[in-house]
Amino acid sequence: MEAFPKIDPLGDDAVLVTFADRISWDVGVVVRTVANRIRATRLKSVTDVVPAYTTLAVYFDSARVPFASIAASLAPIIELGGLEELKDQGLIEIPVIYDGPDLAEVAERTGLTIEAVIDRHVSRTYRAYASGFQPGFAYLGDLDASLALPRRSAPRVRVPPGSVAIAGAQTAIYPLQTPGGWHLIGSTSTVMFDANRNPPALIRPGDSVRFIRKAP
Amino acid sequence: MITVTVAPPFATIQDLGRTGYRDSGVPVSGVADRDSALTLNSMLGNQHGAAMMEWAIAGGALRFDTGCTVAVGGAVAECFVNGKAMNPFVPVEVGAGGELRVDRIVGGRFLLVAVRGGINVPVVMGSRSTLLSAALGGLEGRRLRNGDRLLIGDAFASPNGMTRTFVHAAPSGTIGVIRGPQAHLFDEHAWTTFLNADLSVSRASDRTGYRLEGIEIRHNGDATLPSEPTCVGAIQIPGGGAPIVIMNDGPTVGGYPKIAVIRTSCLSRFAQLAPVEKVRFALDE
Repeated sequence: MEAFPKIDPLGDDAVLVTFADRISWDVGVVVRTVANRIRATRLKSVTDVVPAYTTLAVYFDSARVPFASIAASLAPIIELGGLEELKDQGLIEIPVIYDGPDLAEVAERTGLTIEAVIDRHVSRTYRAYASGFQPGFAYLGDLDASLALPRRSAPRVRVPPGSVAIAGAQTAIYPLQTPGGWHLIGSTSTVMFDANRNPPALIRPGDSVRFIRKAP
Repeated sequence: MITVTVAPPFATIQDLGRTGYRDSGVPVSGVADRDSALTLNSMLGNQHGAAMMEWAIAGGALRFDTGCTVAVGGAVAECFVNGKAMNPFVPVEVGAGGELRVDRIVGGRFLLVAVRGGINVPVVMGSRSTLLSAALGGLEGRRLRNGDRLLIGDAFASPNGMTRTFVHAAPSGTIGVIRGPQAHLFDEHAWTTFLNADLSVSRASDRTGYRLEGIEIRHNGDATLPSEPTCVGAIQIPGGGAPIVIMNDGPTVGGYPKIAVIRTSCLSRFAQLAPVEKVRFALDE
């Protein structure tokens, strides 16, 4: 058994901290608590603190500060763990028109009616586990187990921005036109990423998200 | 002012990149060949992060509507100012109306074209770097095209400021790597293969990632690694076994096991590898 939390180099300019080997909401709370605490410490030469499912990365400038020094500064902060309760972050509501090109196929493959697929998608409050892969993309869980499908075997070359999609135990909104392998079940006009906003991403790790059904 | 008279197939404005937004999924971007960019800015008397043009694939031409000092570096290219051949890393004065022409790139991937004062495009989220996938930064978030006009900036190094100079080392030798966060998932056979193969960068590579050809290696872990933060130079091994190296515009998180990460000091040289060149990785313990 490996001991957690574990501190590894992620190249010369980053530290990767692993808190667990399995995804759970409780682990995510610890990850984000520690991330916030590292941000608040304002360590010299740290440029980015990035929380994900079970890990967080701290990026720094190795030309100014060596890995050993950053790791030593981080260790006591990490060891405090996630004892503090995170303040509730905002609830973000996303209006969705359920008109996705994969909606009928999702219904067929899950054995549900289209109405049931939509009902199950809007009935939950999701939480953002992680951001990334592209600007403004947030991984939201947990999807109703009856809607879980593997990714499409042939990813689309172009997914339109604002597409609401599902894959596995997750749901997400594509912020930009991009290739993508998730099942598209709807669309939203909510802007997920805006460089003129601070922060630019609408949904950040720890946020809660609800989808509101809108008439086409 | 500089006018793009013949746009190269792929040219963007880049500086040293955009930090502080990786938690919103925004990659760092910036010049792929940082060593050459620092050298060019240093010899032009610029601030070390002044923005410049990064050209790939083939040549193009610029007209200098106002006089300025220009220098090129990075990829090996046939460059001319007013018809006279330019040497890399040698600043040249160009009068108003002068022309810089790049006939072709003969070695490496990214030619940097820098001017004294830097290129002045708006700073977006702390950087002038272009991120094409999000149409962010640079000139309207896109590639340069014919007729574009670029302002010359005033990003001069302060005379009393840092006098760090950068020596541009000729490309040679192996690419140094350190063990990645999932290094332990790869057995001795996989590591031996990884460190002894002559690899090349596939043509299907770009600023988001370089695909490596020459090996296929497997790991012992299950395929369900939760997506975790990644970095420029991270060498990922997807299910197919052919490595993909995350580059400057690559995803900020990923779920593929990372066998190793390229040393920061070797990233510029790695970024300049042309598809025909062979390279080996060397593990720094």
